[in-house]
Amino acid sequence: MIQLFHVTKYYDGCLALSDISLRIEKGECVLLTGPSGAGKTTLLKLIFGAEHPDEGQILVQNRNIARLGGSDIPYHRRTMGYVLQDFKLLPQRTVSENVALPLIIRGLSSFESRRKVLEALRAVGMDHKLSTIASVLSAGEQQRVCIARAIVNSPIILLADEPTGNLDPQLTTEIAALFKAINTRGTTVMMATHNRQVVEQLNGRILRLDCGHLVSDQGAYT
Amino acid sequence: MKRLWYFIREAYTSLRTHQTSTLIGILTTAFTLTSFGIFLLLYHNVHNLLGQVQHTIQIIVYPKDAIESGKLRDLQQGLKADPAVDSLTFMSKQDALREFKEQFPEEVYLLEGLGESPFPASLVLTMAAKTPTTDMIANLVNRLKHHPDIDRVRYNRDWIERLTLIIAYMEFGALVVGSILALASVTIIAITVQLAFHTRQQEIEILRLIGATSLFISIPYLIEGALLGAAGGGMALGFLRGGFEFFTHKTQGMSVFGGFSSELEFFPLPLSLILIAGGILLGCLGTLTTIYGSLRFRL
Repeated sequence: MIQLFHVTKYYDGCLALSDISLRIEKGECVLLTGPSGAGKTTLLKLIFGAEHPDEGQILVQNRNIARLGGSDIPYHRRTMGYVLQDFKLLPQRTVSENVALPLIIRGLSSFESRRKVLEALRAVGMDHKLSTIASVLSAGEQQRVCIARAIVNSPIILLADEPTGNLDPQLTTEIAALFKAINTRGTTVMMATHNRQVVEQLNGRILRLDCGHLVSDQGAYT
Repeated sequence: MKRLWYFIREAYTSLRTHQTSTLIGILTTAFTLTSFGIFLLLYHNVHNLLGQVQHTIQIIVYPKDAIESGKLRDLQQGLKADPAVDSLTFMSKQDALREFKEQFPEEVYLLEGLGESPFPASLVLTMAAKTPTTDMIANLVNRLKHHPDIDRVRYNRDWIERLTLIIAYMEFGALVVGSILALASVTIIAITVQLAFHTRQQEIEILRLIGATSLFISIPYLIEGALLGAAGGGMALGFLRGGFEFFTHKTQGMSVFGGFSSELEFFPLPLSLILIAGGILLGCLGTLTTIYGSLRFRL
């Protein structure tokens, strides 16, 4: 599903990732851990197509991301969901409008769009707040809406960058449970996290990065 | 359909959010198009006047005295078929004599002893109102002058050529002034859209995150620019109409205009639509200037 071959990335001459090679299978739950600046976010951005590797190749569903042109990147992104620590919701829009955005981009009909939005919000337990303006939601609710938006297109890969970074332990448990449920349904989940509680709860494959190097890989499929 | 609704709503939201810059954009476009429109209106009316003047131009062709009647008939048919010619009147020697006697009854004694009629027969050509250019008229005169059955040709070309020159200067002036003002308008609209663009960076980032193409992100801004331009174009048309009515009302019957003001006409519908389309084009150009660099090379 995802393959990295000797991937290296620099930012202004500083090494962010060094010679990373790995293979992630369909349906895996992968947790990227390591201290700040270890390269977790960079690795996710490379897979997402937000950055180009300076060296090496990245295959996502047999497509070489390193060679994708600027106009192909959006179509690549539509095959995956991305959840960020800072939610990235449109604050003046309703919950359903926020979740429907990826479907509008894909040009789905209103009927199909409404059905999928409701389905996604039901999956994260937010279907009762369809018409609520995003800015009045609590942090935990906002993150749930973000997850709903990330899964509304039924992506095959769900990337998450510190999704529980702004949440208290109770909410962290709830959000981690959501990711677990999404992964159980067959979606490949790749999450960067500092949080030991999340790592334990998700119980997935752990990739540990340090100063841009992959220092350990525990629980990989063999 | 949902996409279209989304684009229109985004454009409307942006216009409503940035009311001041929207107003400046509309006014600048309106000012640009009004200034350009004044030139266009002047050009349109002078061009019309030229058509009318051309219609009053007469070319008088004097066939040779010894021309056979068959050849004269061929000559008349050939001239009637010319696109520059609207009508042709044959004036025989007797007609010319009669006309002289009618116009100058006191001078008839001058013709005594000169025989049947001392005046030559002539063909009086009237020019078509719209079709002929001065070049066409000049070509026609040139051909006639070299015709073996024609003695001489008379017409007054000086002032029609001067009028054509004035029109050429006006065309050039409109082009220069129009270009400068259009550039100013494009710049102001670009700044207006840029403001909207900057205040919505977070939204653009989110759209990129969920797989929106640059085109998808750009369309609401293009609609915004087009709406700004259309509003400016409509406003300019209103200014021009108002100014035109005011001018024609004030100059009606003034001797300095020699009754010409009653002949003035406002833009016909196609030209009015072109003016609004010009506003839309300026708006879209302003938007494209802003978004081209911002979106194209970003991942």
